[in-house]
Amino acid sequence: MEALVAADLSKTYSGARGRVEALDRVSLSIAPGQLFAFLGRNGAGKTTFIKICSTLLIPTSGHAELFGLDVVERAREVRERIAIVPQEGRPFFHLTPREHVEEYLRVRGASGESARSRADEVLAAMGLRGFANEPAYRLSGGLQQRTLVAMILATEAPFLFLDEPTLGMDPFARRQVWQVIRHATQRGSTVLLTTHYLDEAEQLAQELAVIEGGHILYRGTPEALKSRVHREVRLQFDSGFTVPELRPYGEVFEERGRLTLLTTRSVVPELTRRALERERPIHVGPVTLEEAFLALVGRGIEDEVDPEGGP
Amino acid sequence: MSVRTQANAVLRLCYFNGLTPLWRTPVLIVAVFLTPFCFLFFLYVVAPHPLLPFGIVGGVMFTTLFTGNGMLNDCGYLRLERQLQQVFVASPMRPLSYVLGMALSELAFALPSMALFFAVLEVVTGFGAVAFAALLGVVALTWLMATSLGFMISTFFRQLREIWPIGTVVFSVLSVLPPLFYPIASIPAPWRWVAFFSPSTYAGQLADRAVGLPLPPIPTVPALGSPWVQFGALVTLTVLFGAASLRLARWREP
Repeated sequence: MEALVAADLSKTYSGARGRVEALDRVSLSIAPGQLFAFLGRNGAGKTTFIKICSTLLIPTSGHAELFGLDVVERAREVRERIAIVPQEGRPFFHLTPREHVEEYLRVRGASGESARSRADEVLAAMGLRGFANEPAYRLSGGLQQRTLVAMILATEAPFLFLDEPTLGMDPFARRQVWQVIRHATQRGSTVLLTTHYLDEAEQLAQELAVIEGGHILYRGTPEALKSRVHREVRLQFDSGFTVPELRPYGEVFEERGRLTLLTTRSVVPELTRRALERERPIHVGPVTLEEAFLALVGRGIEDEVDPEGGP
Repeated sequence: MSVRTQANAVLRLCYFNGLTPLWRTPVLIVAVFLTPFCFLFFLYVVAPHPLLPFGIVGGVMFTTLFTGNGMLNDCGYLRLERQLQQVFVASPMRPLSYVLGMALSELAFALPSMALFFAVLEVVTGFGAVAFAALLGVVALTWLMATSLGFMISTFFRQLREIWPIGTVVFSVLSVLPPLFYPIASIPAPWRWVAFFSPSTYAGQLADRAVGLPLPPIPTVPALGSPWVQFGALVTLTVLFGAASLRLARWREP
């Protein structure tokens, strides 16, 4: 049995700007114990999907099942099996990281002793031991986010929804969180992760889906997505070059003033020489998931979705 | 999760959302007490002293009703600013447990202030154990009604800044305008029935009656003066607001 099955899931919001289709007949399945990443720009539909599957939102049509339980009809049973890190969540103002983890575990039914030992374990793994007894209001944004993630990962719930769990964390902290997430899947939890950090998805996910405008554009492994870009090298130019000038060399994308060229190794010396002649910086690297996303969606993951429905 | 585990979850939520902030920021106790005390002080200075017991009962009821304002603000804050309602709803904790835990947290904030008003009331009126029990019953129902109403209203908003003024308006209208701090006899007899448009009037009248304060008839709609009608109305409103809260706690439509 799959851990999560969504079939033709749609959600339409009605608001001041009329009806907005956040999800349009999305179908997806996730195997038990898998670490699955859901990628998309802001407003693409990731959080709506997570909210429906985690029983927080009713779909307009379609249905979703978690471990064979309908998320609408059998929400109570589904809730026994899940935990969620909400997008842009923040911990309780007055509580310490230790209290967050222990109290949340006790609310979920753990005994005092097991909550304490689990809290010790998770706080150490998340690099929070030194801050364990500081009230959250004295912690930095990154530490507060780590506290919230620790609180959820400590549950070892069979299904973990992590909606941008490492937002605002420094690179070192992100790696610590990755370790704990990996442990969670090793212990049997299924994880559905959304992130804007494509390196994170590349590092963690066994499989991923790319969503844009409420539709799934791709589902498969990160490697397979990268292999769809039939280019070897990524060149990036902050200034000094134009799209028409670069187009003969390969695929060009403009993202927030920066030009990205996906091309072959053979043109690197020539373009590097020209950049140096113009005294402009050039960044050279292998094709990553970021470029694969760019090539698939046509826009970078950090680009906001136009609420009027434009590209 | 069993009933016992759910009850434990309610108490834990009250402990870390109500009691912990209280002892880490004790000024919260003063903040809750200050507004009703100021009303009482004002009444003491300007009104004839026989009206003082009404003012003290008003202080108890004001504090109780403002648990609803606290509920409105805290639930809005946890849902919109901290996104923590999602963490609890998408968990084995039942919506009823979440709402009850939050409501108990608000009661924890109000208890020191209530205790002080009860003590003053005992000194001024010397009310007995039966009156005390009856008043506690009214306070319990009013607390449930106010917190359910607060929770229900909080679910309709998407911005915390919209919630703040709404809370002040709703709960000030419920606790200052109706006859809580003053006797209903102060309202001209033909218009007393109008006061019963506010749910808090039923609670206030029952509280005044519990302490043995004199209550005049309601000439236009005499039934409104009946304690059974007042009690029935308070219970009905509590059940209605409570049921709506549970429905809205289960699914959060954006």
